[in-house]
Amino acid sequence: MTSWSLIPQLLPSGITIGAIYALVALGFVTIIRASQIINFAQGEFVMLGGVITFFLLKGLNFPYPVAALVAIVIVMMVGFFLYVTVIYPLRKASILILLIATLGASIFLSNTSGLLFGTLPKALPPFSGERPLHIGGISIVPQSLWVLGTSFLLLFFLFFLSHRTLLGKAMEASSTDSLGADLLGISRNLMVFLAFGVSAGIGAIAGILITPIFFTSYNSGTLLGLKGFIAAVLGGWGKNSGAIIGGFVLGIVESLSIAFIPSGYKDGVAFAALLLILYLRPKGILGSPFIDSRRW
Amino acid sequence: MVDSNQKDFRKRDLFYVVPLWFLALIVPDADDLYSYRRKEFKKREIYYLGALFVLPLIWSDPHFHHLMVLAGIYAILALGLSLFLGYAGQISLGHAAFFGIGAYTTAILTTRYAFPTFVAFWASAVTAACAAYLIGKPILKLKGYFLALATLGFGEIFLVIIRESTGLTGGVIGIFGIPWFSIAGFPFDTYLKQYYLTWGVLLGLFLYSKNLVRSKMGRAFLTVAASEDAASTVGINAAKIKIGVFVIGAAFAGFAGSLFACIMSTANPEAFSLNLSILIVMMVILGGMGNLYGPIFGAILLTWLIDILGKYQTWSLPIYGVILILLLIFFPDGIGTRLGMRLIYLISYWKKKKRRDRGKL
Repeated sequence: MTSWSLIPQLLPSGITIGAIYALVALGFVTIIRASQIINFAQGEFVMLGGVITFFLLKGLNFPYPVAALVAIVIVMMVGFFLYVTVIYPLRKASILILLIATLGASIFLSNTSGLLFGTLPKALPPFSGERPLHIGGISIVPQSLWVLGTSFLLLFFLFFLSHRTLLGKAMEASSTDSLGADLLGISRNLMVFLAFGVSAGIGAIAGILITPIFFTSYNSGTLLGLKGFIAAVLGGWGKNSGAIIGGFVLGIVESLSIAFIPSGYKDGVAFAALLLILYLRPKGILGSPFIDSRRW
Repeated sequence: MVDSNQKDFRKRDLFYVVPLWFLALIVPDADDLYSYRRKEFKKREIYYLGALFVLPLIWSDPHFHHLMVLAGIYAILALGLSLFLGYAGQISLGHAAFFGIGAYTTAILTTRYAFPTFVAFWASAVTAACAAYLIGKPILKLKGYFLALATLGFGEIFLVIIRESTGLTGGVIGIFGIPWFSIAGFPFDTYLKQYYLTWGVLLGLFLYSKNLVRSKMGRAFLTVAASEDAASTVGINAAKIKIGVFVIGAAFAGFAGSLFACIMSTANPEAFSLNLSILIVMMVILGGMGNLYGPIFGAILLTWLIDILGKYQTWSLPIYGVILILLLIFFPDGIGTRLGMRLIYLISYWKKKKRRDRGKL
């Protein structure tokens, strides 16, 4: 029964990685709420956030907060650029074409960052000290608390954006019925453009938060993006709260699985969870505003 | 209502196709002789076949032969996927997994149990088809993005299993020393022989798919792609059609995987990643959906493109990504389709011009 005793120690790391998955999933959901597009390059924003901050901090000797802010702005620019060059020309194409185009963009972004910033894995220094906190026999890295705090702040930010501002309502309107939104004078293309910026910013923040704990290398983005997508499906497709819950559930399940099965199978667990949820309850834990009405 | 032997698709049809498939290579179709279907066999097809046969003899560069062998294997994969993607309109991003299943079946059977490669070749297709049946039964009820994601998830799980079960598959290192493909003691040990082997198999599978898409089942694919509701209204069992075409596509991938394992003489997990799945889908898209020549041309084109890009070393993958996006933006419905439409327009323009000029005179 040694594996059961591992669980309290595995739980904090599960919650931390879960928060990261939740942030990536929020990026997907932000774009989904503005249009029915899935951006598979979302994971690359996370990778770019970490790698560019590392470059600014170590290569150009920026102070930490400035480096982080500049990196977020650069990644948002990349997001806008991605929309203008890839998504906008393909706005009338079928699902499959968009899917492969964003995957192509993901290949381009990850390999270009490998060329520009080197292929070695990078680790940022933690925000506040490396001494783990001991709470009831469990040691927690202070960075985990930063991750949790920031993800809840971002959730509130997105909640206010989508429920309390005109911009958020316009985004939702253009997603629900693009023709109706057009008739009301809402530019669908502008909404998707802004959503790409916001989701790239969220991705960059996730990347900066994760790099002190887990190493970030040029090719780690794809898997993170896929798991974020799984989290978004798991929690409830197209819901901010669903993305958060799905992220935490996925992170905890994945890290607890280490206690019971060999750790090499860890990546398989997420996809097995995906197949199960798609088979048993395709609309996710919290239900989805899109799936029932459109019979996906 | 519907008589049991008039059902659109029977499981035992999958078994007849094997002998029929060989017969189709030798015996001409009986009603080709006195029906108008004979006209469908175009001169163009004979030219293609002749070019395929003569080209490696004229251009006897081993690198060219090797490249065309790879292109042939990818073409078999793309042909199988084009039935699923182009005809039945379903998205799969896990086709590389069936390719991998085929390759590993051949690798394990020939190196561990000393099976002849010809037996392993058929066993690979059967294993891939069985895997497709088991995995397709639950996930084919999904649509659009979710089907794409579920198949992608299957591909990733396959890779994890291959990497971790080191006892059976050799883990990350893979399996070495797979013997050459041989039929009755005749080994295919040079690139030229492998060229004829690969393109011969491709030819057989091509004739099979050509007959398939004109059969009752093939018409049902198109109906399912257009609308599943409409298909079930006219009495087509959409779930059965989808699983049937998924299994056939996987069997194609199993054949391709077996050939790949024999020709490369290794099987390691790097070769069956998500990138390969994207590449196959790209071949089908660029060749044009709903067209059997398309995926073959797409496979040749992209294999050459990747070979040319290989010269640029580290820059090859970023350039590949950019070219992928540009091709999708400018040819979203296939290079051939777009150029063909342009050609038809030009020809009609020329004809009009000719007529106008004649009128003037």
